[in-house]
Amino acid sequence: MSIGVHPDYEVVIGLEVHTQMRTASKLFSPAPVSWGEPPNHCVHPVCLALPGVLPVLNVLAVELAIRAGLATHCTVHEQSVFARKNYFYPDLPKGYQISQYEEPICTGGWLNVPVERDGERELKRIRITRIHMEEDAGKSIHDAAVTGRDATHVDFNRAGVPLLEIVSEPDMRSPEEAVAYLRVLRSVVRYIDVSDGDMEKGNFRCDANVSLRRHGAEEFGTRTELKNLNSFRFIEEAIRAEIERQAELLDDGGRVEQATMAYDPGRRRTRVLRFKENADDYRYFPDPDLVPLVLDASHIERVRATLPELADARATRFQRDFGLSDYEAAVLTASRTFADFFEAVVEAGAGGTAAASWILRDVQRALKDRDLEIEASALRPEALAGLIAMVEGGRTTARSARGLIAELVERGGDPEALVAERGLEAVSDTGTLERVVDEVIAAHPDDVERLRGGEQKVLNFLMGQVMKQTEGKADPGVVRKILAERVG
Amino acid sequence: MAAASETLEEFRASLDSGESSSRALVEAALSRAEGIDERLSCFVRMRAEGALSDAEEADRRRAEGEARGDLDGIPVAIKDNMVMEGEESSCASRILEGFVSPYTGTAVERLRDAGAVVVGHTNMDEFAMGSSTEHSCFAPTRNPWKPDCTPGGSSGGSAAAVAAGLVPVALGSDTGGSIRQPAAFCGVVGLKPTYGRVSRWGLIAYASSLDQIGVFTRSAAEAAEVLEVIAGHDPLDSTSVPEPVPRFREALDGDVSGLVVGLPAEYFERSEGCDPEVLAAVREAVATLERAGATVREVSLPHTRYAVATYYLIATAEASSNLARFDGVRYGRRASEPKDLGDMYRRSRSEGFGAEVKRRIVLGTYVLSAGYYDAYYRKAQQVRTLLRRDFDAAFERCDVIATPTAPEVAFGLGEKTDDPLRMYLSDIFTVSANLAGVPALSLPCGFSRGLPVGLQLMGAPLAEAMVLRVADAYQRHSDHHRQRPPEFA
Repeated sequence: MSIGVHPDYEVVIGLEVHTQMRTASKLFSPAPVSWGEPPNHCVHPVCLALPGVLPVLNVLAVELAIRAGLATHCTVHEQSVFARKNYFYPDLPKGYQISQYEEPICTGGWLNVPVERDGERELKRIRITRIHMEEDAGKSIHDAAVTGRDATHVDFNRAGVPLLEIVSEPDMRSPEEAVAYLRVLRSVVRYIDVSDGDMEKGNFRCDANVSLRRHGAEEFGTRTELKNLNSFRFIEEAIRAEIERQAELLDDGGRVEQATMAYDPGRRRTRVLRFKENADDYRYFPDPDLVPLVLDASHIERVRATLPELADARATRFQRDFGLSDYEAAVLTASRTFADFFEAVVEAGAGGTAAASWILRDVQRALKDRDLEIEASALRPEALAGLIAMVEGGRTTARSARGLIAELVERGGDPEALVAERGLEAVSDTGTLERVVDEVIAAHPDDVERLRGGEQKVLNFLMGQVMKQTEGKADPGVVRKILAERVG
Repeated sequence: MAAASETLEEFRASLDSGESSSRALVEAALSRAEGIDERLSCFVRMRAEGALSDAEEADRRRAEGEARGDLDGIPVAIKDNMVMEGEESSCASRILEGFVSPYTGTAVERLRDAGAVVVGHTNMDEFAMGSSTEHSCFAPTRNPWKPDCTPGGSSGGSAAAVAAGLVPVALGSDTGGSIRQPAAFCGVVGLKPTYGRVSRWGLIAYASSLDQIGVFTRSAAEAAEVLEVIAGHDPLDSTSVPEPVPRFREALDGDVSGLVVGLPAEYFERSEGCDPEVLAAVREAVATLERAGATVREVSLPHTRYAVATYYLIATAEASSNLARFDGVRYGRRASEPKDLGDMYRRSRSEGFGAEVKRRIVLGTYVLSAGYYDAYYRKAQQVRTLLRRDFDAAFERCDVIATPTAPEVAFGLGEKTDDPLRMYLSDIFTVSANLAGVPALSLPCGFSRGLPVGLQLMGAPLAEAMVLRVADAYQRHSDHHRQRPPEFA
C-alpha cells in the first residue's frame, strides 16, 4: 500500500473552483464585465439591487455552462433552477446571491488527471460532483489609503459577474494531485473558451476542503476549508501547511474542528478565519424572480457540436496515430496550445514518439524553469522538428541538441545555424574517434577486462567517457562500433 | 372645472370637445387632492410640477392632432411601491426615505407612453404588507365613504383616490388581495390580472411569486381599457407571460347568456365570520347575472381552507429575502454614527421598518430556516400546486367564479391593528387567486350599513377578457358603481 504524503494519515482533498465565464455582460444584468475600470463604473440598477429591479438571465452564460458540463463529461440537465443564497454583507447588494442549489445545470462528471504514484506516472480519474452558475459579489475596500479614513468602500463592478462553480468529489490524495487536477481543469475551461482562466485577475480561484484519516480508515476525517487560493503555488503550499497543522493536532490526541481557513504565504501557515460550529444557514430557496431554466436535448446537442475536439478524444487519437502512452497523450493534450504545438512538430516532419518525448522531457522542463506557457515561448514547431531530424540523422548528438532547447525556448532561432555556430556537429570522423577510444581504453584497463568478461553495462560507462572527451559531440553509433572492434 | 364624479369616458369627452384641457384636469386633480387629501391621506407625494408640464405636452399633442390614444392627458395615480425616474418612491416606509429612482417601471412607462399624466404616489401599507393602509409611515388613509373606517389595503390610497374622484384611474399592486379588498371597501372596480400579465419591472417587491400590478377604476370597461395599455410581455421581467394582449374592450358585449358562473361551496357554506349582509349582497349580484342569462353552478375549491396559511408562509418567506437589500449601504435610510457593520444593519433596519414588516421578515426567515424549510416552505409550495389544480378543475365547469371579495365591509380605523391574525383573515377570499395566479376582479355589488360591498369574479389564467365581460355585463344591470361617497359626490 502506498504511504502517500504522510506516513500515518491519508490526505483527502476536494476542490471547489470558481471560474469567471467569458461574457460581455453580467449574469443577470446588461452591465459590462470589465477589469480594471474605476470603481462602480460597470454597474446597472440590477447590479446595485435598486428597488424594483429584476434579474434577466444571460443566455451566453448558459451556453458556456453547457460547454463546461459537456467537456467534463457531466450530465447537462434539461431543467435547472436558480436559488437565492441569503446572507448580509455590504458587497452583496441584494442581501442574497443568485446561485443554483438543489437543481444545478450539470452533475456527475470527471476529468483524467496525470499524477505520479509510487514513482509511476499514470492517469487518475477525478470525479466532478456538480457545476453550477452563480453571480459574483462586489468588492469591499477597507484600505484607509483609498477610503481616506476608517471606513469601508464598496466597488460593485464585479457584482453580478458570471461564475461557474465546479465542485469535485474528495478524490485527491496529495497537494500535487490537487494541483494536477486544477491544471487540467483550467486548461479545459480555456480549451473550450468558457473562461480565460486568468488566476492573477481572480478569474480562476479555488477553495480546498482538506481532511486526514488513518491509512485504511473508511470514515472521512473532519474537514477544513481553505478559502480563495489563487495561484497553483499557494494552493500546493496551503494544502501542505494545512496537512501539517491537522496532523500535529491529531498526533497530540486532539481533533480537527470544522473551520474556514486562510493561508498566510509569508509564514507558510494556515489560520482559522472562523469555526463552523453550526452549519451556516443560507436559507436557500428557488428565486421567484426567475423561471426554471429549461433546455431541450437538441439544444444541448447543438452546443456539443460546436465544441472543439476535446482533450480526451484528442488523447485517444494521439495514442492511436502516434503510438503514445496514455500518460504522454494526456499530458500533451492537457492544454490545447500544447497539443497544437505537438501536432505542428509532427506536421513539420518529426516522428510522433520522438516529438512527444522531446516535448515532454526537454521542452517542458525549459518552460517550467522559466515559468512560461508554450504559447509565450519563442520555440517554433519547425525548429524543434529540424533539431530532432538532425539528431536522428546523426548530424548532432542528442546531448548537444538538448543543450540548445533552453535557448530556442527563450530566444528562438534556426537549429541548423545554431549547431554550426556553436560547432556542435556530431564527430563521426573515424580517425579522430579511434584516437579517443584508444585513450579511454588505455586509461581504464580494469573496465575493459570486465566488459570482455561479459559485463555489458560497462560499455555505457566507456561510451560516456568518450562522450566526455568529445564534449558530447561524438556520434554514438560510430563510437559503439569502434569500441566493439577494439575490445573484440 | 372638472367635477369629482367624472369617469374616464367623460374626461375624454371633455378633452375631445375642447371643453377642457389636460392641464385643467391635472390642475383640478392637484387642487382637489390638496383640499380633500388633508382628510383622506390618499397621496403620499404629489408631482405637481412634473404633472403640469406633462399635461401641457399632452395638450400640445392633442392640438396638433397627435394624441396618443384614449389615455392621453388623463391624470392617473400610482402606488408608492412603483418607481418613476427622478421621483421618490418609499413604499410608505422610513427605510426608503429620500430614495429617488433613476429609472421608470414598465407599467408606469406604458401608461406614460400612452400619454397618461402621473399626478402622484398613493399611500399604502408599508411594503404592501397589510389590509388597511394603517401600516404606513405616513398618516393612515381614510375611507371616503366613512372617514373613521379604513379603505382596506394595502393599495388603500389608490382605491380611496379613485373613490373620492381625485383621479379616474390609479395603479395598485395585489399580492394577497391588496387591490381587490380596498376596491371592495371603497366601492370601486379593482382588477388583479393573471400573474405575469403585467410586468413587475419597477414594482418594489413584496412577494415576487404573488405580486401583480393592476388597476382601480370606476367601471369594468375602464379597467379593460387601462389593462390593454399596461399589460404584455416584458423582456425585463422573466416571469412576465409571453402572450399577446387581447383587445379586452372588444369582449365587453354585455351578454352573459350561456355563460356559467361558479359558486364555490367553500366560500359560501363554510365561511364562518362572513357578514350575512355581505353574503346576501353577493347572492343578489349572482341572481342579477342569472336573470341576465347566465347559468349558476356550484363548484368546489377543496383546498381553500389552507390558502391563508399557505399564503403567509410563501409571502413572508419571499419578503424576508426581498427586503434584505434595504440595508443602509447603497440608498435609503442609514443609522447615524454606527459603531460597526452589525450595528449599522441592526439600527438602520430597526429604525427603518415598521412593526408589521418586521413581523413578516421574522416569520419568513423562520419559514426558510434549515430544518423548517421542508415543513413550511416546501409544503406550502405543494399546497399551492393543489390550489392551482382546484382552479383548473373548477374552470372546466364554469367560466367565472363568483365570491365575496372580503368577509365584511370596511372596518374601523384601529379596529384590527392590535390583532394581526384577525387582520390576516381579511384576505381569506382573495389570497387563493394570487396563489393560483388567476385573474380576479372586485366590483361594487351593494351596500351594508352605508359601506360598499364587493363582488369578486375570478377567471381562468389569462382569461381577463371573460372576467371583464361578466363584470361589465353586471354593471349594465346595476348602478352600484355609480354611487358616490356622499361627501364627494
